[in-house]
Amino acid sequence: MRLFDHSPRLVRLAAAAVLAAGAAVAAPAQAGGKFIFANSSAYDTLDPHAIFDVGRVASRINLYDGLMRWFDNPPHLEPWLAEKVDISDDGLTYTFTLRDAKFHDGSPVEASDVAYSIDRILEMKKGAYSLFEGTVAPGSTKAPDAKTVVFTLSKPSAIFLATVPEIHVVNEELVRANEADGDLGTAWLSKNDAGSGSFRLTRYDPAIGWQATRFEDHFFGWDMVEDPLDTIEFRTVVEINSRVLGLMNGDFHGTDGYLPQDQVKRLAASENVVVDEQESMRIFYSIIHNGRPPMNDVNFRKALSYSFDYDGFIDNILSGSVARDPVPLPNNMWGAPADVEGYTYDLEKAKEHLAMVKEEVREITLGALAGYGQTEQAAALLQNGLNKIGIESKIVSETWPVASGKMRDEEQMYDPLFLWKSTYYADPNNWLGEMYACEQIGARNNSWYCNEEVDALLSEARTSTDQALRKANYEKANRLLMEDAAGIFVYNTKWFGPFNKDVKGVRFSPIGNGQEMRWVSMD
Amino acid sequence: MRALVLTVNRLAWFVPTLLGLLAITFTISHLIPADPIAFIAGDNATAEQIAALKAKFGVDKPIPVQLWNYVLGVAQGDFGVSLYTQRPIVDDLVGRLPATLELAFVSIVASAILGIPLGVLAAVRRNSWLDHALRVFTVSGLAIAAFWLAILFQLLFAMRLGWTPLQGRVDGWGPDVITGFFLIDSAVAGDWGVFRDVVAHMILPAVTLGFPAMATVMRFTRAGVLDAINSNYVDYQLAMGVPHRVVIWRYVLRNALIGTVTQLGLILGNLIANAVVVEAVFDWPGLGLYAVNSILQSDYNAIMGFTLVIGAVFIIANLLVDVTHGLIDPRESH
Amino acid sequence: MATFRFLLRKLAADRTAALGALIVVLLVAVAIAAPVLSTHPEDVTEFHPPERLLGPSGDHYFGTDRMGSDVYSRILFGARITISIAVIAIGVSVLIGVPVGLVAGYYRNWASDALMRVSDIFLAVPQIVLAIAIAQTLGPSIENVILALSATYWPFWARLVYAETRSALNETYVEASIALGASPWRVMLLHVLPNISSSLIVRTTIGMGGTILTAAVLGFLGLGPPAPSPEWGRTIAESREFLPEAWWYATAPGLAIFLVVMGFNLLGDGLRDILDPRTRRSTDG
Repeated sequence: MRLFDHSPRLVRLAAAAVLAAGAAVAAPAQAGGKFIFANSSAYDTLDPHAIFDVGRVASRINLYDGLMRWFDNPPHLEPWLAEKVDISDDGLTYTFTLRDAKFHDGSPVEASDVAYSIDRILEMKKGAYSLFEGTVAPGSTKAPDAKTVVFTLSKPSAIFLATVPEIHVVNEELVRANEADGDLGTAWLSKNDAGSGSFRLTRYDPAIGWQATRFEDHFFGWDMVEDPLDTIEFRTVVEINSRVLGLMNGDFHGTDGYLPQDQVKRLAASENVVVDEQESMRIFYSIIHNGRPPMNDVNFRKALSYSFDYDGFIDNILSGSVARDPVPLPNNMWGAPADVEGYTYDLEKAKEHLAMVKEEVREITLGALAGYGQTEQAAALLQNGLNKIGIESKIVSETWPVASGKMRDEEQMYDPLFLWKSTYYADPNNWLGEMYACEQIGARNNSWYCNEEVDALLSEARTSTDQALRKANYEKANRLLMEDAAGIFVYNTKWFGPFNKDVKGVRFSPIGNGQEMRWVSMD
Repeated sequence: MRALVLTVNRLAWFVPTLLGLLAITFTISHLIPADPIAFIAGDNATAEQIAALKAKFGVDKPIPVQLWNYVLGVAQGDFGVSLYTQRPIVDDLVGRLPATLELAFVSIVASAILGIPLGVLAAVRRNSWLDHALRVFTVSGLAIAAFWLAILFQLLFAMRLGWTPLQGRVDGWGPDVITGFFLIDSAVAGDWGVFRDVVAHMILPAVTLGFPAMATVMRFTRAGVLDAINSNYVDYQLAMGVPHRVVIWRYVLRNALIGTVTQLGLILGNLIANAVVVEAVFDWPGLGLYAVNSILQSDYNAIMGFTLVIGAVFIIANLLVDVTHGLIDPRESH
Repeated sequence: MATFRFLLRKLAADRTAALGALIVVLLVAVAIAAPVLSTHPEDVTEFHPPERLLGPSGDHYFGTDRMGSDVYSRILFGARITISIAVIAIGVSVLIGVPVGLVAGYYRNWASDALMRVSDIFLAVPQIVLAIAIAQTLGPSIENVILALSATYWPFWARLVYAETRSALNETYVEASIALGASPWRVMLLHVLPNISSSLIVRTTIGMGGTILTAAVLGFLGLGPPAPSPEWGRTIAESREFLPEAWWYATAPGLAIFLVVMGFNLLGDGLRDILDPRTRRSTDG
């Protein structure tokens, strides 16, 4: 049976594929060295099942392994801890065969550890839980023998395999030994490591970051990389200027790739730094509350979409560091229609549509995220356009916890709200299915948008295993959403990964953000 | 005797004041529009997931029950769990207290070492150009926004000149923790490389915090010295033939110091207020930075804990000031 | 009127206090005349992305910001926000604090003790800490900054008025008028309040400087009015991302805060010398 619905590449040993892009060129004989990464968000917990954000992905992918793993850009899914997977014809049973692998304490990685890990996710109800909720029932994952783990889904899902990398496998015995008051070991695992990943945790301080050393016995071996790193350190450095200066001085060897363009320019000019540019999959858009007047009127939404200065924002404010994306799907993801024009900054058209609005026009509230300057700048720019066509607006800039709370509440949700949507798994469902399916309203569909035609396309795509049909459905849904002006779709991010000039072998993937350190070496 | 009564009186009010403070912070934090639970639950949480977490953190109970639980907890040294980091708040606060105390201590000592002699100088040479210059300096110290000064220092000394580190407390992991005061810990370990690094990191934040404190010290020292110089007692001493210098150092300075000590409470309050933003600018891993991060996470448990700890530190410091004052000021004890 | 003229003459005689008064008057004038004095008044709500982050020039005295707006013009308009926040917050604090202090000072019973205890609790924490907690809870806006500042600053006035009332009640003429049967309100309003007005004026002037600084801190922490408000503290916070290149962006609003607070402090100092001889700063020895 087919393994990858969207890719002609079928099961094969990871080594070949993985190597193709990652191999380092011949390097001096001296060994590894220490790589220090300056990270903008704090590693508050290292529990791989408690968190699910891209900003702290490094602790998950370096200390832990999953059955499958995403590589490169555009991302492709490869078996990792698993050697192969068989999928039943009804699309409900996934049977993974494990490789020989060891946890950091030397004990073997067994099928029961995988079953424990998914059940732990389901019981903790945090992090990646929502990916599996309703698809995998607690206790339904079985380990008939030490090398075989069988997932039996509650309903067919085209995206299940794409979410498997988030099942980071923990050492069941070790976690159980450190449980306290039935907490599933969360307190202990928040600052310790029970993984099998390429690096083994040696030091952790929530105020500073964490440090890990190379795990010699890692199942994938180290012979593919010449002079792999001995030690990796991920340090929390909140202030942008500190990260940039540290990189320029050579104190840090890498930092996150979503810096303001002015800082990227500074870095690129430094002789110590090389900036690696990649098209990522992280869209910037404005949610529009489609359920509330006057935004429930398509003409009003179109007026909003025509009032945003896309060029001014992208070319000037962001110095052209991103790519215009007229639809809610990253334009480098399959399922994104190639020929969509999208909205432009056109106040005449905005006025025309405004004149056709039947609902009463009132002052609207533009939401922005406090501490994320770009969202404020975008809101201010939209306000600028709205002023000119005679729509009153006020900007509210609130912290992410406040905003994410309001997003789930039909009454409290902002009229429009600017934010990003990152890649948690590389499938169009990560964007369209979550943002605009009717069943997601109030949870991940924060637009209160429910269009029967779009919904039918999305739910068919979510369960179908027919790649051509899925692609066609998503392309059509994209066009409909754009036509409906369901949101203000602005851009897809580019990643400008700044690294020390001596760093070799960085492999960027929108899911791991170039932070999987096992491929990296330093001159 | 009066000092003792005063101290006992102050001590008796310590607990009720803290309780009052607790009630205020609790009331404030429960007006909160944010839903931190939804935040912890993550980007993709469902309604059940959120309900389960609410039950876990006890925020599904009626407000009075929550308040009672909170008071009980605080009484046992339990400030609850951070909604964001999910660690006990008391651990976070205790872990970060030394960084703030070390910075505050260095700033105060530095401001006293510089401020007292300058204040005496200004008083002794009152109305000279030096006095006027120092006056402009003190007025500036109290008018400048500490966070702005911090940014200007960073801009000049760290970004342009590269003389000091931009931010942080130490490069990397720092010395092994014995007291939590990195200056002491690195010195005890004999690791002078780290010691130098700690000093380098401390200069800008300490100067930023110390500047307004020094201005206050100078101001009150100057006023105290002038009052003392003009007193009958000094006239008498001089008339009795005691040398001018001896009078200044023995009598005048002592009185001036008393004036300054009384203002220590004020200085400390100012210092703590500034520490919140100065720590944020310098990424100094103390209580202030913790508070600012908690603001960004709408972590109201943590903000309550911070407010209470700062309140307690502040009340205790004022108590100590009162007691010291009673001890060194002969007028108080009669 | 005569006292006012006396005050003016005294102020004029004290050079630093006169400087303070001048700065304060200028600030008010600038705030009122902002639309006339600014070179790009429309830049408070209008943006020009192609002109972002330009250095100071004849067209843009203090350069432009991240949206391509004129920093100089926005600072002038920011003065309006600063003044209204400080004036309203102090006004509310006085309106709460003075009656509380008067009543608690006049009556000697459990209720007045309780009032003073409550204000002591507020004073037990540095103001900024409580203000942050309140502003954070209510959400970022001008109104909430004013609320947070008023809620934390009133106890200063309550304490001051309380102490002054207690000592005024010992004055012979106040005792006499009470003995003659004057009503409590009459005594408070006609005898006590005028007696303590000079300390009130001094305290209020100095309080303005402190309030402006605290408001700037709230703005800096993102608890003030949201973008694209030209509030000074917020502008400094915005500018950090663009250092060290756009130095003008961070420098100009901080200078504005410094000047204004300095103005109020100098004026307050001067007024204290004139009105409140007990706490004289002893400049003239």
